Amino acid sequence: MNHFPEAWGRPRDDVYGAYNGAHLASGMPNQHTQSPIVTGTSVVGIKFKDGVVIAADNLASYGSLARFTDVKRLHRFNSKSVLGFGGDVSDMQYLDRLLTSLDIRENYHSADDAALSAKNLHTYLSKVMYKRRSDFNPLWNHILVAGLDTEEKPFLASVDLLGTTFSSPSLATGYGAHLAQPIMRKLVPDEEAAARLGKEEAIQAIKDCMKVLFYRDARSMDRYSIAVITKEGVDLNEDVKLENQSWAFADRIRGYGTQVN
Amino acid sequence: MTSIGTGYDLSNSVFSPDGRNFQVEYAVKAVENGGTAIGIRCKDGVVLALEKLVASKLVKPGANKRIATVDRNMGVVSAGLLPDGRHFVARARDEAASWRRLYKAPIPTAALADRMGSYVQAHTLYSSVRPFGVTAILAGWDSEAEVPVDGQVGYGPASGAGGKKEGATHGGPFLYMIEPSGMYWGYYGAATGKGRQAAKSELEKLNLAAGNLTLEQGVKEAARIIYVAHEDSKDKEFELEMTWVSSLKGPTKGRHEEVPREVREEAEKWAKKSLESNGEEDEEDEEDKMEE
Amino acid sequence: MFRNNYDNDSVTFSPQGRIFQVEYAQEAVKQGSVVVGVVSKTHTVLAALKRNAEDLSSYQKKIIPIDSHYGVALAGLASDARVLSNFMKQQSLASRLTYDRAIPLGEITQRIGDRAQANTQNYGKRPYGVGLLIAGVDAKGPHLFEFQPSGVTQEMLACGIGARSQMARTYLERNLEQFEGAGREELIKHALRALKESLSQDKELNVDNTSVGVAGVGEDFALYEGAGVAQWLDATFENRGEGAESMEVDS
Repeated sequence: MNHFPEAWGRPRDDVYGAYNGAHLASGMPNQHTQSPIVTGTSVVGIKFKDGVVIAADNLASYGSLARFTDVKRLHRFNSKSVLGFGGDVSDMQYLDRLLTSLDIRENYHSADDAALSAKNLHTYLSKVMYKRRSDFNPLWNHILVAGLDTEEKPFLASVDLLGTTFSSPSLATGYGAHLAQPIMRKLVPDEEAAARLGKEEAIQAIKDCMKVLFYRDARSMDRYSIAVITKEGVDLNEDVKLENQSWAFADRIRGYGTQVN
Repeated sequence: MTSIGTGYDLSNSVFSPDGRNFQVEYAVKAVENGGTAIGIRCKDGVVLALEKLVASKLVKPGANKRIATVDRNMGVVSAGLLPDGRHFVARARDEAASWRRLYKAPIPTAALADRMGSYVQAHTLYSSVRPFGVTAILAGWDSEAEVPVDGQVGYGPASGAGGKKEGATHGGPFLYMIEPSGMYWGYYGAATGKGRQAAKSELEKLNLAAGNLTLEQGVKEAARIIYVAHEDSKDKEFELEMTWVSSLKGPTKGRHEEVPREVREEAEKWAKKSLESNGEEDEEDEEDKMEE
Repeated sequence: MFRNNYDNDSVTFSPQGRIFQVEYAQEAVKQGSVVVGVVSKTHTVLAALKRNAEDLSSYQKKIIPIDSHYGVALAGLASDARVLSNFMKQQSLASRLTYDRAIPLGEITQRIGDRAQANTQNYGKRPYGVGLLIAGVDAKGPHLFEFQPSGVTQEMLACGIGARSQMARTYLERNLEQFEGAGREELIKHALRALKESLSQDKELNVDNTSVGVAGVGEDFALYEGAGVAQWLDATFENRGEGAESMEVDS
């Protein structure tokens, strides 16, 4: 008798015959992308009193290979919002085109004073993501939506490949959820703290996070994009170099950084 | 008219013995009653202008925009039945969107004109539909720069030609006019609607084929021509609506937008002035109008 | 049987470029009882005269709340209005569901306009026989739109459609300047006075035949009927009841 775990609780083949799986397959099976191929790593974002800061590095990995080094993972939607994409890059590109068509349609109806807010955009994306996961054909991304809500207050929320939504004064996807969140939470444990935080402090916090992530995340890179969204609009810089690196902490650790052997 | 009473004019898609489709000709009549619409192709952009007749004081001034944007870089203005104009625009937007889905790039103005020509023509083929009661003017700026593919996130190799032809130029201003029959042509200056004759003769004076007119001048001329075209229906109030699309270096950065209020008002002032100096006999009427 | 050969369907142009079927549909609007709409900087008001088929029947609904931020008033075929208002309700809910946003009024108006246009260009369909006034508040403030069977839609400062509505429009045009700065109550009075203008001599506005819809900045669209409009009727037409009586006594 078969004692392997996958056979536990199943009718015994020697008594009942082999399981007839004919009814499971109805013609050809649907084939969907069930795993990401080319991926981007963490996105980090933090709210401050006048807006939101968000950042993601410019690397797209093919497995462990650093395949593309100039991939922009922050997308400006309009003057009110920026999206940060973690996960599959081709799915990100699909979503980018989807949002481009949305932006074109929005433009037909209303001038900019009634433009879609970051909150509207996040709701829309969450419906798209949830629909796709319900079709067993998810878009393999974890997205941060940063910007201003309908009342022009700072807005930061995430939606993932399952359509799960989450909001917090600071957010990070992927590895950042483990490594960057603790740093940011120390600064903005709650909404009140975020409402007191200054712009420069917020930018500094994000830069610190990007540095820690580059130190410890093997799928990261030292060139990144950073955006600050306020009432004045979107300030997006797509080619920032990680500064003041110090690998002193890795002095005795083999395989770290650029050392040989 | 020879058409009436023959029975050949009662259904669309029916030829008369002398080879005419009367329903299409009647549709053109609907166009001829609409407010004048014009388009001017300048060297660095295109202007669209519309004489919007105000039917009632109760209509909200400045609202009810009639020149529509298609994709981001094109505009459509039409004369004739308003709802048919909206149908035309809705279809144009769908065509532009489906082109983008297929090619991941904006539709060239010429390609959209062709597709819309086909669509309008299809409405002359069947007795189950009627032709469009509009003549539409389509203006666009096809980007002169290399456009990234939609969704593009990075760039090719930093050195080498990368398969590109050196020094190739493309894009520029385009202007088309599509008639109820589905026929369309490219234009330097196009006019349709009630005042089209007057507008056309004014457009011809501009020597547009030489390609010297700048967008800035074009806006002023467009305003003036609409004022000239309005002379025949002077008893009615009207609003001037103007949009433009410029080169990437120009004021709209390749997008189709409404002409800013200050620019439009400046153009209107200039238009009225040049109208006064042209026709002295109308002077008093003109003054009265401006007071209002 | 027909007035001419060109008015059998909505896919035939007359030699003058007119579509008679559409024009006849506009006539259906003029058969409906009158509705008016006015808009100020902060509010928008609909007022409607309800009719009942017979004394023992109920009154026909004239104002339909669509979403929490807007509603419509109808003149013409009420069943056509129901088709359109159901469509508007669906579209409005879809907007709230997918974008968490109250649908902009200009957008929803355009959508029913586009729908109506299709009915004027395809054989086997007929134009809608109803006119609508769409009133409410969106992200850009209060709005009033007019919808016609032809598919024409326009944003208005004030508007009246339905039977004898020319009288209401005349009132609205005369008082146009006062609307923009008017307060809520003042605007309602204007709407009711305009409505009154369109009534035939033997008719009066009362709590049974008057509907009022109001929306404002920070105020959801609300429909007032019956006792709900009594205070406004009293306030607008102060000397109505006693005035008429005392005149009789005097003579």
